[in-house]
Amino acid sequence: MKRLESRHWVFIGLFLVVLLSMLLQVDLGVEVSSDTTRLFDYIENLPPGSTIMISFDHEASSLPEIRPLALAVLRHAFARNQRLVGVALLAEGTGIGYRLMEQVGKEYGKVYGEDYVFLGFKPQYIAAMLSMGESIRQTFPEDYLGRSYDSLPMLQGVRNYDQIAGVISIADGSLTTHWIEYAGNQYGVRVSAAVAAAMVTTYDPYLASGQLHAMIGGLRGAAEYEQLIHQGGSGLRGMLAQTTAHMYVILMILIGNVVYFRGRRKRGEG
Amino acid sequence: MPFYPVQLVLLNTGGAWFDLSTLPVFIAALIAIGIVLFTTYHKKSRERFTLRKIAGLDAVEEAIGRATEMARPLLYTPGWGGDIQRPTTIASMNILSHVAARAARYDCQLVYPTHDPVIMSVAQEVVRESYVQEGYPDRFNEDNIRYVSSSQFGYAAAVEGQITRLKPASIFLLGTFEAESLILAETGNFVGAIQIAGTDSTIQLSFFIVACDYTLIGEELFAASGYLSGDQSILASVRAQDLMKLVIMALLIIGVIWASINPDSTWWRF
Amino acid sequence: MRRRIPQLVCGLFGLVTFLCYFSSHPIARKIYLTVTLDYWQIIFAFTLIVGALSFVRVNLRAVERGEDRPYKIVSLIGVVLMPILALIWGIRGGSPFMWVFENIQVPMQATVFSLLAFFVASASYRGFRARSLQAAILLGAALLILISRSSIGDLIWDRIPEAAEWVRSNPAMSARRAILIGIGLGSLTTSVRVLVGIERTWLGGEK
Repeated sequence: MKRLESRHWVFIGLFLVVLLSMLLQVDLGVEVSSDTTRLFDYIENLPPGSTIMISFDHEASSLPEIRPLALAVLRHAFARNQRLVGVALLAEGTGIGYRLMEQVGKEYGKVYGEDYVFLGFKPQYIAAMLSMGESIRQTFPEDYLGRSYDSLPMLQGVRNYDQIAGVISIADGSLTTHWIEYAGNQYGVRVSAAVAAAMVTTYDPYLASGQLHAMIGGLRGAAEYEQLIHQGGSGLRGMLAQTTAHMYVILMILIGNVVYFRGRRKRGEG
Repeated sequence: MPFYPVQLVLLNTGGAWFDLSTLPVFIAALIAIGIVLFTTYHKKSRERFTLRKIAGLDAVEEAIGRATEMARPLLYTPGWGGDIQRPTTIASMNILSHVAARAARYDCQLVYPTHDPVIMSVAQEVVRESYVQEGYPDRFNEDNIRYVSSSQFGYAAAVEGQITRLKPASIFLLGTFEAESLILAETGNFVGAIQIAGTDSTIQLSFFIVACDYTLIGEELFAASGYLSGDQSILASVRAQDLMKLVIMALLIIGVIWASINPDSTWWRF
Repeated sequence: MRRRIPQLVCGLFGLVTFLCYFSSHPIARKIYLTVTLDYWQIIFAFTLIVGALSFVRVNLRAVERGEDRPYKIVSLIGVVLMPILALIWGIRGGSPFMWVFENIQVPMQATVFSLLAFFVASASYRGFRARSLQAAILLGAALLILISRSSIGDLIWDRIPEAAEWVRSNPAMSARRAILIGIGLGSLTTSVRVLVGIERTWLGGEK
């Protein structure tokens, strides 16, 4: 059998650490950050009945991280009786977005077509964003279920971004940037985001400049949001696994440095 | 009903031929374009102009030489995040042209997997032309420049698989990368390839710096075309970038001083 | 001539979309939307055909040569099966297409994505070393951010999230903005070079 290299041991260690943490199911709780509070306050303070566009701008791969974020935001918005328009600008977000809206809609007794709709997927995201700035109806003549735009009571009077209180982009990549640059800058719609942890620092400059109104990021962001809406979910449950994985990475960094400095001393460089 | 955006009902029936709110952007754009054209076409500004050493670009020859000596392929990929409209992709094509010419000369196999059919077609033309110019059109194999998948992790899995099976001696990761960056860079590291990376995605730069041998940071990627070819008209545009940086620095200093003296002023905001 | 016409088309459309950006007149908006919406959609549709045909051709040739045959066969089955399912039963929720998507594609993609966690661990072990003072400072900042993003950060010291926020908002953001300005200027000069025809590599060479 081929001898395992050091990286294989690193992989095995991480797998075991995360697996054990998932099995333990301990709720650690988190301190809520100002970024998360900002998004919460934004949805909380919108007048009930406002129309929010939720854009599922992610692929299937990031679902374990995106799902708790999306669920927390959807639960809060439905609890505040906001009306939600779902769209997907990446093909893989389509089925996922519909299922999530349907699931949370049922939890809160919401009626499709009256309290929420899902318009489905439109390719070429920049074109779709620009097009919705002129006419959402022309961009999505039918919803995801094949019903015509005009037959959906909730959408009566919703022409373009002027009738949308804000867009929340649920993203694992750079699509939020396009929402900011095209929908935000050109049509003046307020853009917020719920993004994968790896993308948080990418959007920090936009958040600081005010081009991005509010943002929550990663499993930690989801856990904080769940804490704010007093509804535990996979964000809070996943915090133990995330914490132990982070500790494991820190341990690996420390071991790596010990190995490095011992090697240097042996070579007489230290 | 099919979607024909050209039929859009333009709700805004008024509107000026020149929107005054875009005036600051218009002036800034004209100044920038003016500087680029001036440095490019003004003979004097092109004299005595050399670029500082860029280790990542100097290593291109070393990487190709290594692959030739080891009789193993070169793998070049532009990442999942870009399309052909993106300047980063065009900058990457410029480096590809140089790498392909060397690969043709030394009869080294060049493999180019991509996520975008248009990038594939353009890359085929670029590589073919390089082979022709070097006098080895028969060494060009169209199948080596291939479309693998438009899905982010489908693309990542395909390229990772190629790296594992082909064991390239050198890998070029130059273009717009997202979350797949570390997967590709670490896999390249595992097979012992020398890796040169560069991207306009700031978040992925950190992954490349950790996992790759050389990383082109920020504008280094865009300077590559002139640096590798020595073409003075292209090098002149690098000087334009420096001039624009001076303008931006001056504006920043003026803005900071002004905002400190009179925090209520708004003229510098746009 | 083979290069001149695409170059002219590029320059013309570049100029038109540039000017349309600054106008709110209905005619300018219509031109802008026609170029950005209709033309892009049409080109996008054709590129998909080009991509699919190229994919099938390259993989069929590889199967013939016996090169990585099992992988190529699986890829070809996927490329043929999914459009058939979509054409027969559609792509709405509950259709066979969506079943395959949710039960095969989603888990496979999540698996590849999750490899990142393992690679972060191995890259940290190998790459994050305090070789110099600068590297040590970078290492310290990385550790601080890592601790702050987990629950334990608050338990160790309640000011850790605040310190991490400071690192993110000040030194990290300043560096990022500087790099972004450099990238922005690089993009701008590259775009101008392409539009005025100084840069022709994207057309397949210099001639």
